[in-house]
Amino acid sequence: MEGALPEPQRRLAPAARWLWRLEGALGALVALIAAGVVDAATSGWPGPAAWLAALLLVVAAVLVVPELRWRRWRWEVREHEVDIRRGTLTITRTLVPMLRVQHVDTRRDLLEQMLGLATVVFHTAAGENRIPALPLHEAGLVRERIAELARTADEL
Amino acid sequence: MSSESPDVALGPPRRLHPAGIAVLALGALRGAALPLLAVFLAGLAGRGLDTHALVRALALAGIATAAATAAGVVAWYTTTWQIGTGTLRHRRGVLSVKETDVPLGRVQAVDTVRGPVQRLFGVVGVHVQTAGGGREAEIVLPALSAGDVAALRDAVGARRPAARAPEAPAAPPEPVRRRRLGRRQLLVAALTAGRLGVLLPVVAALAQLLDDVFQGDEVRDAGRLGATLTPDTAGEWVLLGSGVLLAAWLISMAAVVVTFAGFTVARDGDRLHISRGLIARREASVPVARVQAVRVVEGVLRQPWGLALLRIEVAGYKAEAPAAQTLFPLLRRTEVRGLLDELLPELADAPDRLARVPRRAARRYALPPALAGLAAGAAAALLVPGAGPWPLLLALPGAGHGLLRWRAAGWRLEDGRLAVRWRRLARTTVLAPAGRLQEHALSQTILQRRARLADVEVRIGAGTRGRVHHLELPTAARLFAALRLRRDPRPT
Repeated sequence: MEGALPEPQRRLAPAARWLWRLEGALGALVALIAAGVVDAATSGWPGPAAWLAALLLVVAAVLVVPELRWRRWRWEVREHEVDIRRGTLTITRTLVPMLRVQHVDTRRDLLEQMLGLATVVFHTAAGENRIPALPLHEAGLVRERIAELARTADEL
Repeated sequence: MSSESPDVALGPPRRLHPAGIAVLALGALRGAALPLLAVFLAGLAGRGLDTHALVRALALAGIATAAATAAGVVAWYTTTWQIGTGTLRHRRGVLSVKETDVPLGRVQAVDTVRGPVQRLFGVVGVHVQTAGGGREAEIVLPALSAGDVAALRDAVGARRPAARAPEAPAAPPEPVRRRRLGRRQLLVAALTAGRLGVLLPVVAALAQLLDDVFQGDEVRDAGRLGATLTPDTAGEWVLLGSGVLLAAWLISMAAVVVTFAGFTVARDGDRLHISRGLIARREASVPVARVQAVRVVEGVLRQPWGLALLRIEVAGYKAEAPAAQTLFPLLRRTEVRGLLDELLPELADAPDRLARVPRRAARRYALPPALAGLAAGAAAALLVPGAGPWPLLLALPGAGHGLLRWRAAGWRLEDGRLAVRWRRLARTTVLAPAGRLQEHALSQTILQRRARLADVEVRIGAGTRGRVHHLELPTAARLFAALRLRRDPRPT
């Protein structure tokens, strides 16, 4: 994509891929169980077809998507805005002005705690945006920086 | 987290008042009460109430209380809050840790709550609200001492942006400008409301019910007569269908009349006063500063006559009924600018002269719904015996709808005023100063990347999200860059 403003440069933690792989694996497990049920309940072609579909899903959710997502994710916190670019099939670039940021969270669920990661969530009146899977220390700094910039944005 | 940056000076982390343990434990107990009751009743089933059951219930209650107390202690121990020079920080959670920074200038309200438990211990629950989305308060501190509440209030009060506290020096009071919805307009609004989609299922179900009831009676009373009440020829089906449609339309008309009778909107200084309603008069007073955008909605039955409904998007009013966000229920499209100039000059703009999306994008609008129609048609053709290939024609209305959407899509950015138009069923134009955008995005699918097209999406409030699909990439990128907000354009 082109435009007058520079592209965001910073990446997520490399461990983000493992986070997404684990999450994907949990989802894929459900698909495999479902395939097993279909196989047991029917005879003929639906069983193998279900296994094939589940297998494709596992490959996509565990091997392909996390890698692709991680390669695409870029973010940048600038003085006046947060700039995010992300997506696998659809690439989306989002700008959120600091003036509109109401408050900032960092969140860590169990998987993220195991991997030493945290997600930064910043809220506007229209909803929330996330920078997921940053190294724990960096996430804290990013949260503080966004809160600080949001605070000073009013005073210009 | 020990990530202290030098420019954010924070006070020491504070815990809640120890009474918070009781408040949190009771909260946990309340959450678990229903499942526990279910377990108890399930244990009761089949055996009846005897001493064993009572002992079990007591044991269960004891365990639950102990567990809730433990949960309360853990929650209390892991919840901290800190006041900094510019920020309020809150940390909670064990399995899922959440740390929140609220810039003090962004605090909209510090609400205090005193429930029975809090009163018992002489503490206060505090909810800190920002304008951020979500119904819950951003920070909930269930038990603070009076001293802590005062400290919190002081910190927030001291950091409120000074510009907002005193109103602008009293300008000479402007005359109140007022617009009223006339009887004829109300009638036309009712006729063209087109809420059929919502009501049709209800009326159909009602008709079915009545049919069943009458059929039952008829069958009992007069033998074969009942059979004549269920339609069996095409003509009777058409008759029944039009009856249902007519009933739905009448109900929809009545609803509009009841909602909007006597609709009046007045601009008085920095507020809009809106009152409406036939049976219950409803009045709303909206600060103009919180109006983020105007939406011009041209319903399917209204657009051919050049008629539209005007809505306002108000920050922080998400919970209100949509009717409360109606600026005017019916007016001509050409009158939009005039009405806005009079009542809401801050956002005045006209819903016309928009740039269309490129001609080559038309097939991209038409193809997906056409394919969806085709798929639905194929499913119908396979599943309904004797249907033949006719359901496949569903692709045509799909393509038609897509083309209508293509024709409706458009945008304009002039003097910092943004207009974005799209269609689902109704054609909607959002008018907003670019400075009131909450965020905006540029996106491209794989297919769009090859064709060098892109979508632009803007979010203005909790409910308003405008999107133009398939703009030429350079156009989209220019628009995306031009919408960047660098400083607050509102006069202070």
